[in-house]
Amino acid sequence: MDLIAYLDPGTGSMLMTAIAGGVGAIAVTAKLYWGRLLVLLHIRKPEAEVESAQSRQQTDSA
Amino acid sequence: MSTSTETSESTTASQLEPGSFRDPESRVFYAGDGVYRSLSADGLADFEALSSSKLWERYGGEGSIVATDLLENGAGLPEGLVKESAAVLKHERIPFVSYPYEWTFSMLKDAALLQLDLMLAALEEDMVLKDSSPYNVQFEGSKPVFVDVGSFERYREGEPWIGYRQFCMLYLYPLLLQSAKDVPFHPFLRGAIDGIPPAQMRGLASARDRFRKGMFLNVFMHARLEAKHADRGGEVKEEIRRAGFKKQLIQANVRKMRKLVSKLEWSPPQGVWVAYGERNSYSDDDAKRKDEFVREVATSQQWDLTWDIGANNGRYSRIAAEGSRYVLAVDADQGPMELLYRSLRDDGDEQILTLTMNLADPSPGLGWRGAERKALPDRGKPDLVLALALVHHVAIAANVPVREFVDWLASLGPSLVIEFPTREDPMVKKLLAPKRDGLHPDYERENFESVLAEFFDVERRERLSSGTRLLYFARPKGSGAPIDLGAPEA
Repeated sequence: MDLIAYLDPGTGSMLMTAIAGGVGAIAVTAKLYWGRLLVLLHIRKPEAEVESAQSRQQTDSA
Repeated sequence: MSTSTETSESTTASQLEPGSFRDPESRVFYAGDGVYRSLSADGLADFEALSSSKLWERYGGEGSIVATDLLENGAGLPEGLVKESAAVLKHERIPFVSYPYEWTFSMLKDAALLQLDLMLAALEEDMVLKDSSPYNVQFEGSKPVFVDVGSFERYREGEPWIGYRQFCMLYLYPLLLQSAKDVPFHPFLRGAIDGIPPAQMRGLASARDRFRKGMFLNVFMHARLEAKHADRGGEVKEEIRRAGFKKQLIQANVRKMRKLVSKLEWSPPQGVWVAYGERNSYSDDDAKRKDEFVREVATSQQWDLTWDIGANNGRYSRIAAEGSRYVLAVDADQGPMELLYRSLRDDGDEQILTLTMNLADPSPGLGWRGAERKALPDRGKPDLVLALALVHHVAIAANVPVREFVDWLASLGPSLVIEFPTREDPMVKKLLAPKRDGLHPDYERENFESVLAEFFDVERRERLSSGTRLLYFARPKGSGAPIDLGAPEA
């Protein structure tokens, strides 16, 4: 997601809107924390690593 | 929306609004009597989406969004927008600009509900409000009007509610503070232009407040998540994107917030209700004469802007409105202003604006360069001021020398109706009682009259029948036909 808002939505506040949305938020929250569990169990790479790996590839191919 | 054939030529001598620089897509400026908004290309596309929406028709039609025209040939002016200007809008001018730290509880609540209603209406048509600032709402009398049409933008799939944090800091927390803790929000909003951060609000809350409706999630959990994830902005955004954030989730958030805000209540203490309906320390005859005196001046000509300072229950604001285009009712005490606002709202009044402000400590210039929010006189000077049952409070309770107070009134340049209660007046005695003898030698009728005549042409003087109160009508120096104050009273 490329946020182009001039206003900083705040990281914790973004999570709040994902969590506090009532019934509709349950699936989002579950997916959010499921993603984190996968990272914790080393099944998925953390986002920072994925990004740096991608940028390495781009640099290599340049 | 309508397009106007007015061209940018009329906007050549423009002046940028110093409080409108934050959003790079839109900037307000003034030219002559007009209020304009310069839009970037993206800003224009957003405005075109807005102006063809049902919400524009509905809320614009009922005057809840400021009346706006897209000018033909308006592009290119003025400089000052960070991006290149693509179009210019012309807005209807708001009679007098006010700020949330001057509003009563119900005014901030009504502004919050308008903000949320517009957000819900926008989401229905795949638009959003990009921020949640009460500074985007102004009042025309008791009617809240959304003035920042640049806040509407087309919704981008996957985005969360960007303005949620700002809504909490500038709307929800101030309302909660006053509703739940009976602590006025005004010093907090005046003290910080961005409002109350979640961590501070949590610090102000007690453990018991966890069980108050809406506080656990919006205050305690919000503050905790903010502290925990402060350094993980990019990661969290990606996690939210992966989890699949949908527009429906924002709608659910906003609906919940609306339900919460609509249930927040605050009422002034009982004593204010009692005093509101009464006229303290006046005989009925005094009240009648005072009404007549004020009415005669108020309706003697068409006044443009009248300030009723120390307005209390608004009795004289209403009389002033009979002969004024617009009236400011200002009082340091929020209680009577809250009750007056509710009453004006019930009447559908769009002519009297209620403001809570201590005149001995009035709103200063605030924000970037001290210019984002303006001091009171910089927003429009009055041509008539009513200062009834006020001078003794300013001079004795707030220790402002009589001469300085009259000098300040003269600096506003208006005609003036002022009431002077003598030292024998019960209220003056009450104010002097806790003070050491001889502390206010300037609070004497002779001195007051000499100072008044120094700064104004006093045209009329009348002593009320109780004998301890005098009324004066004065015009700016050089414009009136002064009477001899040494002569017997009328």
